[in-house]
Amino acid sequence: MDFNNIIKQVNDIFIDVLDNEDIKLTPETTAADVEDWDSLNHIQLVVAIEKHFKMRFTTAEINGWKNVGEMCVAIENRLKG
Amino acid sequence: MKEGDSFVHTFTVTPATHAGFIDIFRDRNPLHTSAQFAQAKGFRGEVMHGNILNGFLSYFIGECLPTKDVIIHAQSIKFSLPVYMNDELEFTARIVGFFESVRTYEFKFSFRNKDGKTVAKGDIQIGLI
Repeated sequence: MDFNNIIKQVNDIFIDVLDNEDIKLTPETTAADVEDWDSLNHIQLVVAIEKHFKMRFTTAEINGWKNVGEMCVAIENRLKG
Repeated sequence: MKEGDSFVHTFTVTPATHAGFIDIFRDRNPLHTSAQFAQAKGFRGEVMHGNILNGFLSYFIGECLPTKDVIIHAQSIKFSLPVYMNDELEFTARIVGFFESVRTYEFKFSFRNKDGKTVAKGDIQIGLI
């Protein structure tokens, strides 16, 4: 699965979890750019992403992501094994 | 706590539970307070408020887990059969997911009556604080 496909799927997860059809993620998107991406919704987003892609991250890994792009790269790398 | 762990507890809807719920939340709908009304609707007696079971869930999360450092993030429940006064319910919860990155557990739970029938089931997500 390539990066563009991953970010599209992550975008769909954000739309579902945050109940906002207008979300359009880019690699540079951060929590400050998305309405309702607060600490509690962050937990729901991470859980949904880990379930969707059937993978688990550590606290250190997710705390190291500076934006959506870094999150998607981490997913891509994990999928590559 | 780890994925696959199960917890079992027995709850009973006592008259005090029923009265306390009504006293606090003021839901005196006759389905819950009039045996005559409930029987006319096809039930064998007053149907206990479904949300009493959510109170039992709160007790389970707050008091029955090996740690008190917990907070409920989300829960859903579906009611499939009525619960009556003094029904003894066997509650079972199983951890179906652990998300270390956000210190979050997911449980599936069910309440069964003495006939072994599921009266309600659902999911609950908690975080470690």
